[in-house]
Amino acid sequence: MFDFLLDPTSQTWIFQGLLLTVEITLFGVLLGLGLGTLLAIGDIYGNKPVKAAIAVYVEFFRGSPLFVQLFLAVYTVPAILNMQINHAILAFLVFGLNSAGYQKGYVKGSIETILGDQMQAGLSVGMSKIQTLRHVILPQAYRIVIPAWTNEFCSLTKSTAVLSVAGFMDLVGAGRSILIRTMEIIPVWLVIAAIYFVWITGVSKMMDIIYEKKKIPGIELLMQ
Amino acid sequence: MADFVMEARHVYKTYGSKNAKKAKQADTDIYVGAKQVIEAVKDVSLQIRKGDIKLIFGPSGSGKSTFLRCLAMLDIPDKGEIYLGDECLTEPGVDLNKARARIGFVFQHIYLFRHLTALGNVELALRQVLKLPKEEARKRALDALTEVKVTDCANKFPAQMSGGQAQRVGIARALARNPDIILLDEPTSALDPELTGEVIDTLRDLAKEGTTMLIVSHEMPFARDVAEEMIFYDEGKIVETGPPSQFFNAPSTDRAKQFMTRIINRTTRE
Repeated sequence: MFDFLLDPTSQTWIFQGLLLTVEITLFGVLLGLGLGTLLAIGDIYGNKPVKAAIAVYVEFFRGSPLFVQLFLAVYTVPAILNMQINHAILAFLVFGLNSAGYQKGYVKGSIETILGDQMQAGLSVGMSKIQTLRHVILPQAYRIVIPAWTNEFCSLTKSTAVLSVAGFMDLVGAGRSILIRTMEIIPVWLVIAAIYFVWITGVSKMMDIIYEKKKIPGIELLMQ
Repeated sequence: MADFVMEARHVYKTYGSKNAKKAKQADTDIYVGAKQVIEAVKDVSLQIRKGDIKLIFGPSGSGKSTFLRCLAMLDIPDKGEIYLGDECLTEPGVDLNKARARIGFVFQHIYLFRHLTALGNVELALRQVLKLPKEEARKRALDALTEVKVTDCANKFPAQMSGGQAQRVGIARALARNPDIILLDEPTSALDPELTGEVIDTLRDLAKEGTTMLIVSHEMPFARDVAEEMIFYDEGKIVETGPPSQFFNAPSTDRAKQFMTRIINRTTRE
């Protein structure tokens, strides 16, 4: 049943698939965090047109299936721009842009819980708004956002499954290829699921530890 | 011109709903929708010279804090001018960050940077605003903490300190940049009564050193001892100004008289 695990070709596929899934997820959550932060700040401090543009962006990426976004990127963007673009690059970007749509909300929520008094304090010592955001607000907001960010990571990891439909060899893509060779439906998907499970659980546990470690000392006293 | 460290000329500030200005223009009722429009500062002028220690007091909600925040340009006045030395801060295009770097501000609710130690709180502006090198910033931050006697808290985070310790760190943070003036917004009123003493002692030390201070406070014994001038503020206006002796013996306005009676009775009962 699990013979395919000993088959070098299947091993290579699984390894390649896992690598792509891991790479695209990490890139996606990190780009999503950076861009999501900018969107959050734009949404708090921007004027009406900026806020409206951010709302359109967010609703597009949250409101349409990732699958559709991926196809639009891979098949229509190169056509519109009339140039050849590596599909993998487009896929990476789609994951980052999509994640930013979600992370904007998480980051904005965290910033707003801190903004009131801490911004005042920052301005009062002569720092600019940007300096205060960078040195006071964001260091605290990122600490708060870690659990939500971990959820985003889990969700995005599993979303990579759509890559296989667009012809990429991600983890699910590897499963499909092995399936065609072996026809061992249940064992193949069990193995693929187990790999997702180990990777996601591992990273989540690590993020939990980081969250606890990074907690501001003494702050738990205030929360009781 | 540079007679005054800080000067306010005919400052106005209205608070409340966003329609406040519209309502004023239309000269309608000052209640707009369900929200009340509060005229916190109405034509207030004030001059502070180097070394002055002035104390603003008055009923809660009268706009004292708003006025103080206007002086630091943490609230932007609707009308009027704020001068820091020769520089008019209310003129468009003024670099307010630079101006605020020369003003120390101490908050009623302390507002320390929660993710930084006491030392980090004091150091941050020295590094980011004054751009001091690391070692020098550290040294000056430690000096400031020593001055307010909280060196034992240097490596503690705000949530690990008592209110009195935290507020003294707040004062150190305001002091460390050697500002032209320190504005203190009810620095003791959020503290437990047994902790106000240590903060008041710190302020007395600063007074002895000739620090220019404008303090919103109801600490009357402290006011009597250190303030050169007391300012009674009510309903968005300065009602009466004079030396402490005037207020403790015979305030010239009825409002001030009533208020002093209430405050002194309360203090003696405690």
